Amino acid sequence: MARSRPASRWTLLFSLVVLLGCMVIPGWTVKHENFKTCAQSGFCRRNRDFADNASAKGEAWSSPYELDPATVHFKDGHLTGVLIKTTANEKVLLPLTVSFLESGAARVVVDEEKRLKGDIELRHDSKANKKRYDEAEKWVIVGGLEVSKSATLNAQAETGFTQVLYGPGDKFQAVIRHAPFGVDFQRDGQTHVQLNHQGLLNLEHWRPKVDRPEGEEAGEDESTWWEETFGGNTDSKPRGPESVGLDITFPGYDHVFGIPEHADSLSLKETRGGSGNHKEPYRMYNSDVFEYELNSPMTLYGAIPFMQAHRKSSTVGVFWLNAAETWVDIVKSTTSPNPLSLGASSKTNTQTHWFSEAGRIDLFVFLGPSPKEISKTYGELTGYTQLPQHFAIGYHQCRWNYVTDEDVKEVDAKFDKYQIPYDVIWLDLEYTDDRKYFTWEPLTFPNPTGMQEKLDESERKLVVLIDPHIKKEEGYFVQEELNKKNFAVRNKDGDVYEGWCWPGASNWVDCFNPAVISWWNSLHKYDRFKGSLSNLFIWNDMNEPSVFNGPETTMPKDNMHYGDWEHRDIHNVNGITLVNATYQALLERKKGEVRRPFILTRSYYAGAQRMAAMWTGDNQATWGHLAASLPMVLNNGISGFPFAGADVGGFFHNPDKDLLTRWYQAGIWYPFFRAHAHIDTRRREPYLISEPHRTIISQAIRLRYQLLPAWYTAFHEASVNGIPIVRPQYYVYPDDEEGFAIDDQLYLGATGLLAKPVVAENANTADIYISDDEKYYDYFDFTVYQGAGKRHTVPAPQEKVPLLIQGGHIIPRKDRPRRSSGLMRWDPYTLVVTLDKNGEADGSLYVDDGETFNYERGGYIHRRFHFRESVLSSEDLGAKGPKTAEYLKTMDGVTVERVVIVDPPKEWREKSSVTVVEDGAKTSSAAPLEYYKQQGKKASYAVVKKPNVGIGKTWRIEF
Amino acid sequence: MRLPQSLFLLAVAGSTAHASDKPTRPRGVAPEFSKFYQDSAAFTCISHPAIQIPFSSVNDDFCDCPDGSDEPGTSACSHLSRNSPLTVADRPGNDDLELTLALPGFYCKNKGHRPSYIPFQRINDGICDYEQCCDGSDEWARVGGTKCEDRCREIGKRWRKEEEQRQKSMTAALKQKKALLVDAGRQQKEVEDHIVRLEAEIKGAEVKVQNLEADLKAAQEQERKLVRTKPGKGQGKIHALAGLAKGRVDELRNALVDVRRQRDETRERVKELEDILSTFKTEYNPNFNDEGVKRAVRSWEDYAARDLSSGDANSAEDHDLDEISKADSESSGVHWEHWENEDDGCGDSNILYKLAAYLPPFIVNFIEDKVIFWRTLFEEHGIHPKPNEDPSSESKAVTEARDALKSAEDSLNDLKNKIRDHQADLETDYGTASIFRALKGQCISKDSGEYTYEHCFLDQTKQVQKKGSSSMNMGRFRSIGTKSVEEINEAGEVISVDKTTLEYTNGQSCWNGPNRSTTVILECGEQNEILKTAEDEKCVYSMIVTTPAVCPGGEQAGDTAPRAKDEL
Repeated sequence: MARSRPASRWTLLFSLVVLLGCMVIPGWTVKHENFKTCAQSGFCRRNRDFADNASAKGEAWSSPYELDPATVHFKDGHLTGVLIKTTANEKVLLPLTVSFLESGAARVVVDEEKRLKGDIELRHDSKANKKRYDEAEKWVIVGGLEVSKSATLNAQAETGFTQVLYGPGDKFQAVIRHAPFGVDFQRDGQTHVQLNHQGLLNLEHWRPKVDRPEGEEAGEDESTWWEETFGGNTDSKPRGPESVGLDITFPGYDHVFGIPEHADSLSLKETRGGSGNHKEPYRMYNSDVFEYELNSPMTLYGAIPFMQAHRKSSTVGVFWLNAAETWVDIVKSTTSPNPLSLGASSKTNTQTHWFSEAGRIDLFVFLGPSPKEISKTYGELTGYTQLPQHFAIGYHQCRWNYVTDEDVKEVDAKFDKYQIPYDVIWLDLEYTDDRKYFTWEPLTFPNPTGMQEKLDESERKLVVLIDPHIKKEEGYFVQEELNKKNFAVRNKDGDVYEGWCWPGASNWVDCFNPAVISWWNSLHKYDRFKGSLSNLFIWNDMNEPSVFNGPETTMPKDNMHYGDWEHRDIHNVNGITLVNATYQALLERKKGEVRRPFILTRSYYAGAQRMAAMWTGDNQATWGHLAASLPMVLNNGISGFPFAGADVGGFFHNPDKDLLTRWYQAGIWYPFFRAHAHIDTRRREPYLISEPHRTIISQAIRLRYQLLPAWYTAFHEASVNGIPIVRPQYYVYPDDEEGFAIDDQLYLGATGLLAKPVVAENANTADIYISDDEKYYDYFDFTVYQGAGKRHTVPAPQEKVPLLIQGGHIIPRKDRPRRSSGLMRWDPYTLVVTLDKNGEADGSLYVDDGETFNYERGGYIHRRFHFRESVLSSEDLGAKGPKTAEYLKTMDGVTVERVVIVDPPKEWREKSSVTVVEDGAKTSSAAPLEYYKQQGKKASYAVVKKPNVGIGKTWRIEF
Repeated sequence: MRLPQSLFLLAVAGSTAHASDKPTRPRGVAPEFSKFYQDSAAFTCISHPAIQIPFSSVNDDFCDCPDGSDEPGTSACSHLSRNSPLTVADRPGNDDLELTLALPGFYCKNKGHRPSYIPFQRINDGICDYEQCCDGSDEWARVGGTKCEDRCREIGKRWRKEEEQRQKSMTAALKQKKALLVDAGRQQKEVEDHIVRLEAEIKGAEVKVQNLEADLKAAQEQERKLVRTKPGKGQGKIHALAGLAKGRVDELRNALVDVRRQRDETRERVKELEDILSTFKTEYNPNFNDEGVKRAVRSWEDYAARDLSSGDANSAEDHDLDEISKADSESSGVHWEHWENEDDGCGDSNILYKLAAYLPPFIVNFIEDKVIFWRTLFEEHGIHPKPNEDPSSESKAVTEARDALKSAEDSLNDLKNKIRDHQADLETDYGTASIFRALKGQCISKDSGEYTYEHCFLDQTKQVQKKGSSSMNMGRFRSIGTKSVEEINEAGEVISVDKTTLEYTNGQSCWNGPNRSTTVILECGEQNEILKTAEDEKCVYSMIVTTPAVCPGGEQAGDTAPRAKDEL
């Protein structure tokens, strides 16, 4: 770490910073008028009114939905039946299916019979599909739908109820009430999730538009049924009102998390007003929100309608599989304890109310009981995080824009000059010839291959922007093919839709069409995307889609996509259909050369984690945005999409040096670590920042690189069981209520590393919350912090990242700095061991070639490190496959060069060597051990020099 | 005991590499450091003599010395740097140890070329770094099967050729520089000579002005007498007044015609601007984060919403103006001859009104109104200069005397300005030995992407668009300065070097940004040449320009005219 400097210099620096701070112009805010409030969104208002009406009636309110017992069938894990919605003039039939899955999840689907049969008429001669959209799962669900073989009807069901026992050991039960319809999901006899408990189930059935004679009042307020106008755009709504709504209650739960993307706290707030609460529901309608604001339920670029409710020792979750515009209201009610029953405490229920503009009710219910089980089950359905190429977890250097190929090469050379590692340099849209994707600006990028070859010399990569809007220009080959093949999104009249985006007048590629995917695939081949090499990867931006002149900066809802689905039906999955097409395209750009794709996407939905990384879009260079990035990244992680990050430095405006430095120190904890900047900002590559900031930033980036083995292991874990890469407090300590709302510190994988980035100006300390009574050691100087359930003040001068290691872990590192992560491949490891209360420690390491899919055929190393009874051992966690031997051979020379044991037993003072036993070696050997005694609050430590055990080998080191 | 592969390779590579010539020093050690590696039993860390380790620990791929001196041939100590996140375990037993490397890097012998150092972090990373290590010795461990053949022969040959070229070029540059110095000295001398000449001329001019002042005074005396002795003979006051009025009307008419022409031009400009803005409003991207653009669009909308009929063309008005613009005659306007022949004893002031009464009233009002309106408008917008006071009518003799004096005064002022300019020029900083005097006004340009950049020494910088060739001033010369630029020395350390710069400021202003400015960073070179132009931040440019003027040496070679000031 940097040495301390004379005070005068700091004072000078400080006053300079204050001065700069004063010059920052505050107050950039989102344009609220561009986006709908609930009151401006017809179905949102109708569903909220519906809820208000029900609550006004109180006990007198009865949900008009009944399950007809005569229709109920249970077979092979599926319960089917028909819900009857009774209105003034008709009984609407709504087929219901409840599926009980092997994974322990349950799925509830409600559709509309008339729509299923196509027995409806559309207005305006619309050609739209008559069904309710039921294809979201095509893009989202990849498995986990095997039904439970053991699920059975409970023979002891009460009258008026159907009860199904399911889940592991039949510990789960769905209690289905017939009239009014409702479902209580129980675990171990206790109710955790309730559907329609508030009676807010609402499925707006199809009805013809009745033209009433003038003067005659409609029975209901029809003002938003047939047409809606916003921002000068009128939605023709050919199917009339068709929203679906449902209330989901979590009895006894006072925290709910999830439903990204919002710039808000991890623990979601109430949305019906009141002090500290939101007034608007959380909205999910993927949008290009310009200069978004913080602490807001406003929609952002991506949506994952997956929510977890958490209380002490229990986590449950719901996943609302619907691709249309969706809003969620949250209300928490506290029941007073019964004064007569001693010891009973008050109980908080969280009531959530979900509604979507179109589609079916398609809900998955997860009963936990722990966050990890929820992650796993949800991941089985929507897929786990892609195991990325190794370079993707290094540092990414982006800017709108590096202006020429020479500029790129110069930035590349500067990083080497200052010995700051980085892996990827990015090109925003200005590299294109007049914003035509798959082309290069001929004057500024005359030699793209030369540029990529130069980058490849140090195993670095290039990422370029490819967006879904295709410039409308004659002679542009992509546009011509798009037109000829009829691959563009159409408007409500069936003509090719034209809107404005970066290139001006554009058309949008419709990736819902399978033929489009193969065409898109062909565009990415090296011979079609001329000037692209194998170290070029793709950034899909503006895929909400962003349309500059469209309603709410996106497409009209009555636009038409492949399969005759309206844009309204599919909006929230639109983004991932482009990502999917790009993913397919990058798999095999050259015959026989299959590589893991790398894609960054701005828009996303559940399932995006299988294909891409995300970032939090166009943030701003303010301390507030820096602070907000942590809960946003954490929330994405628990919502199944952990490969997430925010633009380091802030996209809009110029960060001062202090902010930029702290942002790097925080950014190294984002799974996706990229610096980016707006075209109007000053250049801010780390080497341009004056000292001491440059050194501090270099240290932060090198810390990320030093820990890459731990990061890659955490990515691997996420890719096989869905556990977030960086984890919030409640996730790691689900029993500690004090920590549930903490969202400003994080744990890296299972390493025991606990980081609390400084996100406040002029802060010199960080208060780190510690949940358990293990010892925690300062990463850099081994100072000991201990004491459960309280915050510990850790010094955090500017040059220091507040970072602790919990006792009981073994952390793999690579300490030698290199130019890029690829060049660290052959370097030896350092293992850092901290012992727990019982003198034990645990850790793991996953390594593979970081590039191909050979790991699927055994081409990897997966070790468990264990310290117990004075023996440190490495055991194989992997399974052998056809590629195992080959990979192990390449890694033969890679060893452990050093083991650092923090706070070792005092007896070790006398030791000067350890015994090393490696599998296959005829004899054991000795390695020197050096013991360094405790200094003040800093723990003692011992270093084993050069045990030189193979990283892929089984071995023991005896102390 | 198992021999780790890396060690094994070390042994193998070591034995092959040094099979012929006996190894005198460990791998990676430069001759100047070999003295530290003489003792074959123990090694003493170079910067920490208290620490001694067995010699077998040298180059064993494990970092023992806090200064890395035990690993001159591996990357094991490459993390010892201020840029690394070091922990206490990296400073065994001494938390306050400053960890810096004792060696500048791994020494590549580069036989056939010149030896050089390569940073330790590049040793055995799988990349052949031929730029520093043409002999490929940086990849001796052959990690991952990397093989770096020795390319020193070809690289050395190429380098020598280039070096020869560089030397030639440097010699040429110095020659050029001397020529520039001579040139600058000559120009400076010229200025100084000129000042001497001007001083003499000024003296003469001052005398002339004094004489003419006397002449004018005499003429005025004469005039006053004349006016007194010939009161109203033959011609009445009205005649005089009519004469005055005629002059005044003509003058007003001319002014009107002039103002009208300016108005029409302005109208066209306004129209053109409005068209540009309308197009701009429909085509701008509302999502683009440019507060300046947004503000401009809003103001334009407000502006467009206001009714600005006063600026619109009006045919009736134009017809009136046409009429007024015609010269006066019997049929149009005022028939002056009639008035000039009138003789009347009325008071001057009455006559004025009378005169106005003879003019068609609409003309009087109209002329006064319009002239005042347009004139004010134009003056406010700086289109038309504010008028000087009208000269009063005088006799020919006085006028002539006055004119002669005026012209003499003007030329005196002119001379004074010239001398001031020259003196200011002498005070101006033209760099050491005034060398930039010789380059002033010289222009060089360079194509870069969609632009051509132009640099005119001590004048301005410009950006010219290739498509459409519209040009943008990137700053006007302000001063010579210095800037510290970071460079990497041979040991790979970042050092700062002061470079001479030419600062250009106050160029064309940017949308929502500052006025453009350019820092031209000068480097020694044979030619005046732009190497690179970069926009460091919005509308702040830097240009790297080579010129012989900043090459080292040359100043003492005589022929210059150094003055004390230059040495400051």
